[in-house]
Amino acid sequence: MNREPLLYSLKNCELLIVNGHNGLKVVIVYRKINFVILFLSFFLIIPATALCAGKVRVKHLTSITGNNEISRFGLLGGVFFDENKKRLYFTDTTNSRILAYDADFKYISEFTGGGVLASPTSIVKNSKGNFFVAEPAKGKILAIDIGKKSVKPIDFSAVSGANPVYVGNMAVDSEDRLYIVDKANQRLLLFDSDLKFEKEIPVEGSRRLMDVKVDRAGRIYALNTTDGSICVYNSKGKLLLRFGTRGAGEGEFDFPTSLAIDRKGLIYVTDQHKNKVFVFNNNGRFLFAFSQLGWREGRLHRPSFIYINNSNRIFIVDRANTRISVFE
Amino acid sequence: MPKVKNHTVLFYLIFFVVFLLSMTSAHGANATDTEVGFKKCMECHPKIQKEMNQKGRHEPFKKYQCSSCHNPHTSNYEYLVRNEIGTLCKSCHKGKKGSFDKKYSHLPFEEGECLKCHNPHSSKNPKLLTARGEQLCFGCHSDKEMFSKKNEHDPARKGNCLTCHSHHTSDYEELVEKSPERLCVTCHTATKKSHSNYPVNGTDCMSCHNPHGSNRNKLINENLHKPFAGKKCTKCHNPAGSANPLGMKSKGISVCTTCHPLIKEDFRKINTHVGDGVFCTNCHTPHASNKAHLKKAKEKKICTACHQDTKERLKDKKNYKYKHPSVIEGKCTECHRPHGSDFELFFRTDEISTCVGCHKKHATFTHPVGEKTVDPRSKGEINCSTCHNLMGSPHDFALRFNQKKQLCIQCHKGY
Repeated sequence: MNREPLLYSLKNCELLIVNGHNGLKVVIVYRKINFVILFLSFFLIIPATALCAGKVRVKHLTSITGNNEISRFGLLGGVFFDENKKRLYFTDTTNSRILAYDADFKYISEFTGGGVLASPTSIVKNSKGNFFVAEPAKGKILAIDIGKKSVKPIDFSAVSGANPVYVGNMAVDSEDRLYIVDKANQRLLLFDSDLKFEKEIPVEGSRRLMDVKVDRAGRIYALNTTDGSICVYNSKGKLLLRFGTRGAGEGEFDFPTSLAIDRKGLIYVTDQHKNKVFVFNNNGRFLFAFSQLGWREGRLHRPSFIYINNSNRIFIVDRANTRISVFE
Repeated sequence: MPKVKNHTVLFYLIFFVVFLLSMTSAHGANATDTEVGFKKCMECHPKIQKEMNQKGRHEPFKKYQCSSCHNPHTSNYEYLVRNEIGTLCKSCHKGKKGSFDKKYSHLPFEEGECLKCHNPHSSKNPKLLTARGEQLCFGCHSDKEMFSKKNEHDPARKGNCLTCHSHHTSDYEELVEKSPERLCVTCHTATKKSHSNYPVNGTDCMSCHNPHGSNRNKLINENLHKPFAGKKCTKCHNPAGSANPLGMKSKGISVCTTCHPLIKEDFRKINTHVGDGVFCTNCHTPHASNKAHLKKAKEKKICTACHQDTKERLKDKKNYKYKHPSVIEGKCTECHRPHGSDFELFFRTDEISTCVGCHKKHATFTHPVGEKTVDPRSKGEINCSTCHNLMGSPHDFALRFNQKKQLCIQCHKGY
């Protein structure tokens, strides 16, 4: 019986045919295997992995900082982007003002309301052009109508509860309904477009309700800091999903402070102590995180608030760096 | 053919005998090797040999197997042990029925410091313990004040700590064996009569009583809430005879603010610790406490109950080796306001003023800080936490970077 192996050479490999006791065996030997792996790694595998992991999705665009013209920023509160006027608004809590920037991040103006504002934190604007500014130290939400030059507090008299309302962050939906975090009763207060109290959504099991956002489909997202969880409700207030936990693992929070939803439905959460932004899909599965502790542009130091506009620009209140960091 | 068979049987018999002999001698040789190895070790470590006379010996030590735990040549660990002590011990001692996997752990156990309580070779005490009973526990838990009161709880007086506590892990805080509601009633009966006719069964006895000792009768904690001291339960609770006697007279925080109205303003700040319900009781006890301001527990414990990541940082001695003394001592409120603050991170005042309140020299000489300074990296102002991370750092003075080669060049390029 002939047991000599037959050898066929191809360009990058050798085909070895062995006639053994149990029949023919074919062995393929790659001669240039290192080259093949190297090629695949550089041109296919590494970019594909990076894309899948999402590490190339978010890049730093610019930072908005205080300067001599408008003076230094103090403790920064909330951010809102007006899609109609293409303007960015944010509150400078310590300096009792609202600052306005254009879509190219050029300073336009500041609003103090002639001393009406004390310590403004969260800010939103409805489609009629009315601003709503949270004044937690006063226990009020101020409704500001620039056109009529009027500033009125929202009436909470129809809201009952064990504790007096302590206002936190706010959100506005596509029908101009206003959602307010009530920290003292761990619930969301819902006001209609005429600013009449509509209903409350209790955030069951929350130990420190911190933020609220509403997506384009009307789903409501609530962030609980102490238990590190995110609750997603439908527009009627029915709980659809609860996810997230605190811990040292990947996608687990140290101290989550704010959340935002992009056009694709991805959920972004800032973590004040991990100095990162975590991104989850709409099922609550962790996808990737970006940024890290630092002082240079693109890095974060105690991020406290996040807002994403319709152009998928991500505005982060980089509180300890006293700036607004913009990513896209 | 039969002759051949006989030879085969004989061959197998001889082979079997030789095999048995070789196995026996090989085993004998191994045993001798271990003993020889042990004797070799004892040539330089004679004190350890004396431990062989102890009644209680660690199993590998008893069998002369020094190399079970030690590497005779090199190691990354002290005493040439094969791994970190905790990992080494747990490679054999895995705990019965998940007894090592409970929620709360004894600190030495959690940190893998098994040798704080156990001897590795031998001991005259059971379980290779370094000391017996209360002597072992009081070696660390030496708070004399806690255990030298006029009235003492019997198990505490006798040093029978394990009557109430577990030694390694527990499902309950303070490593107690049972939930606080079930623990005391194992021995005691909580009667209505002794509690102003309120049905206290099923409540946490330790919210009023000290389980170790107290100068007050019935082991009541030292500091009393005024209505509690005056037995005026109905100041806060419904009457004892009502349908819900333990229920509160009014809703939410008004139970407290009716008598403490000024506290409300403490919470009306940009940063606040408001919560739902009677949130004062998140940190304070409404009846009796051994801590100032009727705090529920030590400050560190209260704060880290929510600030869990800070708790982990406090335990991390490698990456957070250098910490501010107040952080080490768990005196959070020396820098942070517990109710609310208009300053970042609940500071008492602005950050620089908070720091120079104690570090007075730094107010006169220091790297420029404050409003007129600019951090070239962030364009924000430079303050103390620009260079220091007071919650913990691997560098001297809790600096964010190594002061000899990294810190200054973060901003001062070209040096």
